[in-house]
Amino acid sequence: MTSTLQASSTSTAPATVPWGRVRPGRRLADRLLKGACIAVTALGVFVLGWILAMLVVRGVSALSPRIVTAATPGPGSEGGGLANAMAGSLILTLLGILVATPIGVMAGTYLAEYGKRSRLAEVVRFINDILLSAPSILIGLFVYTVMVMPMGQYSGWAGAVALAIIATPVIVRTTEDMLRLVPNGLREAGAALGAPPSKVITTITWRAARSGMMTGILLATARIAGETAPLLFTALNNQFWFSGDLMGGVANLPVTIYQFALSPYANWQELAWAGALIITTAILLLSVVARFVIKKDIAR
Amino acid sequence: MNTVSVMQTASAAGRAADASAPVRIAVRDLDFFYGAAQALKGINLDFFDRQVTALIGPSGCGKSTLLRIFNRIYSLYPEQRAEGEVVLDGRNILDPRIDVNELRSRVGMVFQKPTPFPMSIYDNVAFGVRLNERLPRSEVDDRVEAALRRAALWNEVKDKLKASGMGLSGGQQQRLCIARTIAQQPEVILFDEPTSALDPISTGKIEELLEQLRSEFTIVIVTHNMQQAARISQFTAFMYLGEVVEFGPTNQIFMNPGKKQTQDYVTGRFG
Repeated sequence: MTSTLQASSTSTAPATVPWGRVRPGRRLADRLLKGACIAVTALGVFVLGWILAMLVVRGVSALSPRIVTAATPGPGSEGGGLANAMAGSLILTLLGILVATPIGVMAGTYLAEYGKRSRLAEVVRFINDILLSAPSILIGLFVYTVMVMPMGQYSGWAGAVALAIIATPVIVRTTEDMLRLVPNGLREAGAALGAPPSKVITTITWRAARSGMMTGILLATARIAGETAPLLFTALNNQFWFSGDLMGGVANLPVTIYQFALSPYANWQELAWAGALIITTAILLLSVVARFVIKKDIAR
Repeated sequence: MNTVSVMQTASAAGRAADASAPVRIAVRDLDFFYGAAQALKGINLDFFDRQVTALIGPSGCGKSTLLRIFNRIYSLYPEQRAEGEVVLDGRNILDPRIDVNELRSRVGMVFQKPTPFPMSIYDNVAFGVRLNERLPRSEVDDRVEAALRRAALWNEVKDKLKASGMGLSGGQQQRLCIARTIAQQPEVILFDEPTSALDPISTGKIEELLEQLRSEFTIVIVTHNMQQAARISQFTAFMYLGEVVEFGPTNQIFMNPGKKQTQDYVTGRFG
């Protein structure tokens, strides 16, 4: 069979280059490009690995039980921990995400389901993109101007608002993207049963996109958990135990790390390393959970 | 395509055509536009009660467009607009005062691609039931079971009603969508190429189902498959370039068409 095929092809086509041979230049170009890609990737991974390795080496040696039991030490005092900063960070991040989630989900839903290509939607989308890439220190300064100055003091509330402003555009974007991935056939099928748009969105479209939307919220949480600049002008810091009062400065990990790392005290610097390790681990865990949520949904 | 076999099946099904049945949907001078482009021109058609009417014609002839008017699903898209009259149970459904959600509970639709919702099999079928009526749980259970039985799916899913509807095979998903539609107890069911994404065995099951559903529902089906139209329908409308070329009992359209164009299309010489 094969031999007859070959025979007939040689008899019809002039015998030049046999078919199916790769042009010489193409293989070289392929290797060069592949090599360049691998090199650049390796560089990125190397730097990341270096940072993480340094963090683990210095951070682990600074870890001790008192990190989670003691509050941040005053200048010149011995020991101390990060318990108040961790508690404060947790509360500020949670508050921020609690404010950002409903706004972000609703705005994203508007863009994907109602606004679509309308003028208002395009404007909202444009502003959201700007907000998404705005330097976080500007958001800190903005909240400082509209909240901290009028109230006359740094406050946890201002910190939470600043974090919410950073998280919102991330959630808007992911919500819209995920909703647009939902096949239009599902919306039509819902409408064809006589379900009004609100019902279709809440019971069908959101459900179809829920894992993607959850992932967006988790990633936004990870993003604001590590933000320093917006907190510098808003929640600032506090070396005492968190009292439940969000008026006045609230201790938090990023600002503590920032202040302690620049300090001359050895125990402060140690704590900064420990804090950096804790926050990085927490964000890594969040990202892994976010990935897991996506994977689970694809498998479903 | 084998012309003779089409004609034989057509004569078998066509005998049941009952033009004395009351008209369920009357279409009068219907025009349809996608933006500025006119897709349907002066359509006049009657759809008879508890009969299967097939819309056939080459791609782009407007058969799906026509189907999508009967439940006003097109009005999801603001740039699409219909002019004329489509009378269902004495009311012009193109009237802007019509509640489209109520209309859609009377006129169900099954799409080309199966569209199970991301929820359990049970919730898929109960979705439409719960939408219009507040029923006690036991009654919803009964309606779901009856609809699944009617859609010939009950035996395959009765032990996994809580499982996701997305986990079913393509053919099962399509029967789930049919169950979801009939659970709402509509008067008319629109089928938009319901078997073109399915294998021959699943297609056979759906066709059998259509034959049974005819006793209860008025059915309009768009199909590209002329043998299918001949097998399952009592009436056939042949459309071309946004107009109805010929309409009549299926056996007449397939065996003794009045127009040369229809003859060419059903015998596979064009289209």
